[in-house]
Amino acid sequence: MKHLTIAAAIAAAFTATFISTGAHAQQGPIKIGVVTPLTGTYAGIGQQVKWGIDLAIKEINDKGGILGRKVEAIYEDEEANPNVAVQKAEKLFQVSKVDFLTGTVNSGSTLAVGQVAERNQRLAATTVSFSDAITGDKCSPNMFRVNAKAGMQSAALAEWMVKEKPGATVYYLGPDYEMGRSTVAAFKAAAEAKGAKSVGEVFAPLDNKDYSPFFGQIRAAKPQVLYTSVAGNDTVRFLSQLSEFGLAKQMQIVGAAGSVTAQNMGAIGKAADGYVTGAAYSAELDNPANKKFVADFKNTWKAEPDLYGVDSYGVMYFYKAAVEKAKTTDTDKLRAAMRGLEWDTPQGKKTMRAGDHQAIQDMYAVKVVNGKFQIISKVPGEAAVGADTCTKF
Amino acid sequence: MTELIETLQFVYAPQVVNGLAIGVAVILMALGLTIIFGLLDVINMAHGEFYALGAYLGITLASKGVNFWLCLAIVPVVMALIGYYTERALIQRVFHSKDRHILTLLLTFGLAIIAEDAFRLAYGPNPYKPESPIPGASELFGMILPNYRLFLIVAGSAIIVAVWLVVYRTSLGAMVRAAAFDRHMASSLGVPVSKVYAGTFAFGVALAGLSGVLLAPIYSVFPTMGKDFILMAFSVVIVGGMGSIKGAVIAGLVLTQIQSLSSLYISPVWGDPLVFGIMVLFLMVRPQGLAGRLGHG
Repeated sequence: MKHLTIAAAIAAAFTATFISTGAHAQQGPIKIGVVTPLTGTYAGIGQQVKWGIDLAIKEINDKGGILGRKVEAIYEDEEANPNVAVQKAEKLFQVSKVDFLTGTVNSGSTLAVGQVAERNQRLAATTVSFSDAITGDKCSPNMFRVNAKAGMQSAALAEWMVKEKPGATVYYLGPDYEMGRSTVAAFKAAAEAKGAKSVGEVFAPLDNKDYSPFFGQIRAAKPQVLYTSVAGNDTVRFLSQLSEFGLAKQMQIVGAAGSVTAQNMGAIGKAADGYVTGAAYSAELDNPANKKFVADFKNTWKAEPDLYGVDSYGVMYFYKAAVEKAKTTDTDKLRAAMRGLEWDTPQGKKTMRAGDHQAIQDMYAVKVVNGKFQIISKVPGEAAVGADTCTKF
Repeated sequence: MTELIETLQFVYAPQVVNGLAIGVAVILMALGLTIIFGLLDVINMAHGEFYALGAYLGITLASKGVNFWLCLAIVPVVMALIGYYTERALIQRVFHSKDRHILTLLLTFGLAIIAEDAFRLAYGPNPYKPESPIPGASELFGMILPNYRLFLIVAGSAIIVAVWLVVYRTSLGAMVRAAAFDRHMASSLGVPVSKVYAGTFAFGVALAGLSGVLLAPIYSVFPTMGKDFILMAFSVVIVGGMGSIKGAVIAGLVLTQIQSLSSLYISPVWGDPLVFGIMVLFLMVRPQGLAGRLGHG
């Protein structure tokens, strides 16, 4: 199997070389490399990334391209594996000579691809990865993030919570591994900074089947708000068992953006109603640009766009605005143009912060009502983004 | 003083009762496992997948409009047929070879892997959760207990007692125990041993399927659900004594209470290592478990 993969990669590399002969920078089409998971667990996310980018490229080309040059995308499957992502990114830069790279989903892939971009002196952007480190202590001068980071989601949620229930008492329940512990710690810090009071926390094993052993502690702590960052089927069990025990009615349940999703919402059913989370996008967003985007997206792909689709659509306009401002695809000039750049997306105006390459955008608190996320409040981008902690450039 | 009473009422008492509901669920799983082991000497690695199959059959019937209580009756019958023919078609073929333990273990393990992928292909990777057939919760001494869990405790106990009665108080049970004790003797006395074997396997599988339907409203239904209870059920079978119904009940109750109460004091992640630690201790100190084998006293 391994030999087959290598053979296929070599064959693909040769084909790509022949096809790409004669294409040099600054002439011919602008090439966008997209390294994204097209197979495996994250294939659903990769599908949205591809739909968003393809839709934006079609629109841009229909209107004459960027600086008169057509735009084309070259896709590579990264299988949500940083090792594969690095090989594919290297290949896109070296063989296909792409001008810009995007599409990585898993945060590890994004961090690794950032270093590949540095070595190749090209720029890259992620439209999906949440990890705060990408634009924090592991920031790269060649990597930009156009989507909201994890910290912005919890800040938006905390902001909504203290406005709704000032001085709220909060209980935290997370899955006991890196993601669970870091999401709880981040939300706890954000909530306490805004005057909320923590009354207890518990970390359940991943794939925990029964949460009722924790309900006694939760009930005894009498919290007004219960925060959770369990995901997938764990959320199905946790929320339905909470409502089974009548606890769901006694407190406001809030959680991480990945806890309740389109995948598990159906199984949670009524028990998801009233759940609130912080999010960067909802297809229900009421502005003309978003209405047009959602309609075009549905027309073209017969599916609704999600967060990943809209951010991947937006990154093409980010790139277009930057190239038009710099009037070239030269890496250093383009980087300077991207810093501080303001551009329009279906989510509203975004600003690329110069200090850490994190896009600043308005965030929303969204609530599940009858199985759909509805926007209940808006948190200005500046209030959600937090301090610039990048020290590398 | 009031604080102590409050802690007892709000923390310990619900913990014990919740632990009881989980205990009944685990015992239902362990019963089938221990009976199949005790009689056939087969470690059924696919037991969890039979549990999942029962749950999937339940939601399939429910989607055709069959009500929950009818499902509870239909699924075990269908599962018993599946179990019977699985034993006749697959297990009996390798049963008489010298490497019986390894072969049946590998065979059922393979079945488990195939079944898990089959569920994924047929029903997709996303979870399902049937509505609770008895919604709402009751207040007992200040504890809030979901009605369905109370039902589970009662119905589960009734099933356990019924299984015990069948095995120890009926002539069918006597045949089963006789075949377990000495199959050559039993067979020469006219017990249709190979049918008894297949029937016992079918009975264990039916119990797993019944648990699947019973537990689905609490634990939801998804392709890897078979792995949920199986480790705990194996620990219960080992601590209780392989093949012993009484041992499985005692071990099931004690181990789930230990897990439930310990989660108040130590990180819940240590619950499983604690239980497996006890299992290892038993294997070292008292390998026959709390009680002996089925048919052996």
